[in-house]
Amino acid sequence: MLRSSGLGLASRVLSGFLLLFVAGALPWLSQRDPAASVLRARYAELEPTPEALASIRAQLGLDGGPFATSLRWWAGVLRGDLGRSWVSGGEIGPGVWAALGVSVTLTLFAVVVAVAVTAALVAPAARRVLRGVPQRGSGPAGVALTALPEFLLASTLLVVVAVQLRWLPPYGWTGLHTAILPALALGIPAGGLLGRLVADAVAGVSDERWVEVWRLAGASRTTLLAGVLRRAGAAVVDQLGLVFIGLLGGAVAVEQVFAIPGLGRYLLGAANAQDLPALQAGVLLMAAAAVLLGMLAGLARRALLGGPLAPGTLPGPPEPRGDDRAARWTAGLALAGLTLLLAAGLPRNPYAIAHPRLAPPGAELPFGADATGRDLLARVAHGTLGTLLPSLGIVLLAILTALILAVLGEVSRGPAEIANATPPILAGVIIAALLGPSVGGAALAVLWVTWPPLTAHATALLDEARAMPHIRWLPLAGVPPWEVWLRHVLPATVPPLLRHGMLRLPGVALALAALGFLGLGAQPPLPEWGLLLSEGIDYVERAPWTTLAPAAALVLTSVLAVALAGLRQAARDRQAARRGTGRKTALAVQRDGAGGALW
Amino acid sequence: MSTDGHNPPVLEISELTAVHGHGKHARPVLSPTSFTVMAGESVAVVGRSGAGKSTLADIALGLRNPAGGHVLVAGKDWCLPTRRPPHGLRHLVQGVPQDPAAAFVPRWTLRRSIGQAVHRLTGDHEVERRIRRAAELARLDHALLDRRPGEVSGGQAQRAALARALAVDPVLLVADEPTSALDAGTAAAVSGSLLSLVQETGIALLLVTHDPALAARCSRTITLTAPAAA
Repeated sequence: MLRSSGLGLASRVLSGFLLLFVAGALPWLSQRDPAASVLRARYAELEPTPEALASIRAQLGLDGGPFATSLRWWAGVLRGDLGRSWVSGGEIGPGVWAALGVSVTLTLFAVVVAVAVTAALVAPAARRVLRGVPQRGSGPAGVALTALPEFLLASTLLVVVAVQLRWLPPYGWTGLHTAILPALALGIPAGGLLGRLVADAVAGVSDERWVEVWRLAGASRTTLLAGVLRRAGAAVVDQLGLVFIGLLGGAVAVEQVFAIPGLGRYLLGAANAQDLPALQAGVLLMAAAAVLLGMLAGLARRALLGGPLAPGTLPGPPEPRGDDRAARWTAGLALAGLTLLLAAGLPRNPYAIAHPRLAPPGAELPFGADATGRDLLARVAHGTLGTLLPSLGIVLLAILTALILAVLGEVSRGPAEIANATPPILAGVIIAALLGPSVGGAALAVLWVTWPPLTAHATALLDEARAMPHIRWLPLAGVPPWEVWLRHVLPATVPPLLRHGMLRLPGVALALAALGFLGLGAQPPLPEWGLLLSEGIDYVERAPWTTLAPAAALVLTSVLAVALAGLRQAARDRQAARRGTGRKTALAVQRDGAGGALW
Repeated sequence: MSTDGHNPPVLEISELTAVHGHGKHARPVLSPTSFTVMAGESVAVVGRSGAGKSTLADIALGLRNPAGGHVLVAGKDWCLPTRRPPHGLRHLVQGVPQDPAAAFVPRWTLRRSIGQAVHRLTGDHEVERRIRRAAELARLDHALLDRRPGEVSGGQAQRAALARALAVDPVLLVADEPTSALDAGTAAAVSGSLLSLVQETGIALLLVTHDPALAARCSRTITLTAPAAA
């Protein structure tokens, strides 16, 4: 992946154009005949005769195929015309701009929260630097703050603060007091992530030589702190994009939970109504916002580093060091909890309506019953399968995709960058709008964001395998290239890739549940965690257990995901350490021990 | 084959060049080189680091393609910038690597790796007989053949690599620093076996080395110079 070549550039340019084309042609690409659905929505009394359909198609600008549709739309965008809604027939522009305004306001509040959280996480690390005490990283506080995905945190805040304590209004966008909970739900995970990155960077920077030199030279505390923060900022600035993407994706979920008329909810509404022109406009504005934020991050990088640097001039970002044993225990406990849930609930029937509606938990119904009188324990346990089995399929498909793309090399460069910059929820919104909401569509959306990191890993593994001396020498034994691949390179590549994929499984399950929660994935009456949670939220005041049961399962998975991410990091550290000592030296040592005597 | 002074040429190299990398990043790693190796000859290739010694060895082994020039093995075209050596000629050139582990699949026994090469390259059904003879030529203890490469010492592994190469009856043996990973005593024994093998069997030897004493024991020395930076 480090080789930059004409092929990589071509791949990026081509993918960029393809993206623009697809964005413009979305209405045409829609699976269902848009003309028929518009006819149904607007003129219920008209018969769908071929003439009526053709006239509506022309009216929508869909005649002439995907290229004409795409070109016409982009021409309109350049004139400032975002088109007309299929559902209402009204201009899209004013509505979507108003939604953008709401979202920007909410994001600003969230940024305030995020900055406060970041400062709180970085302060102890910075204090330790000033005192000259080395520190190991951000510690458990940062992990705890990022453990809950936005849709879960938003639901929890809604239940606890708005419904139980009645401190703040649960819904709406009518004043400052309505912005507090959404800003917290959006800002805390983002701030937790950013704070962890910066605190780990500060801890790593404090190990660098110059800090000691400055301290010995008598630099004042302010100067030293400014220098350390500046250096840590430079190490983190490249990862700012991650935080922004998290904010964009999280905004959809948070706006949905708190019923805020922002861009995310607008997109979701457009997807559910299959109003593709509205979806196009929303996606365009979101992409423009992402590009703007990316440029701001670029400017910040330039200010911190003074322009582009030659590769290798900066030491890499410091590796966060997690506590391996704690992560192992946490992962084990979470896994045991999930297994217990499965063992207890799988024999029960998740579809039978056999209990009183919203029955409270008791001996017979450990988790209570839902609004239609179904056993919640059974539904949550079967939901584990309904969530984890598709996730397993996604991970395996992602591994397969990664292997194929790694073999193709630079060709996958452009799609990988686009996929890396897509929040899973946004991909889910677009796919649901095109194909209709379904488990398959949600799985496709999650797959779209899962393959890039696996591809990067597969590329590194393949390069490593091909450089192994014994594989390089196989042609000498007359082994044809395809057999070198199948019997020697792949067996060295697949097992580590499988391990990596399995460690990503809980994260994939959470993304899938988030889409289910937003109504973009599994449809009722399927038991699926996200769907269960969104069904329960409606009854949260009368029967809080309806949300508690699926939320508990999701929290367990989330804890598992964070613990496994820690393990993944530790494994990578060990691998790097092993590679640092070098294969050759190890071999020489082994030989010194055995060689002389036996020869 | 005998060593009577009228030997056929085994390896003919003319105006051979090689580059590393592609397009804008390409840099020459071997300046134009021409020489011929006759059967029964041992030729030492010396030169500073970066002169292209290992590149030359890799091209002769058919593990990488040259950028230009011609390579003939036993009078036939060996490899071109765009074509790897034909399968039918593979058995003619075999090698002993710097790191003997390179010659063997780590999880296979030495016998299986050697047997694979014999089977693939010669189509001979008497694999076992060839392995035995090669082990004797390389002075490798038969009992070691059933071990894996990680279970034998460096010197033993290097002898096994030599046996693997000899098992397919090559006309040219390419050794790239075959003793640099061994201690002094073992190295002397291995290089002694290599040179006496040339005398006994009439196989040609192309030996890449840093060691002037070893180079002096070969019948000829070729000095490579690093290509000028482009």
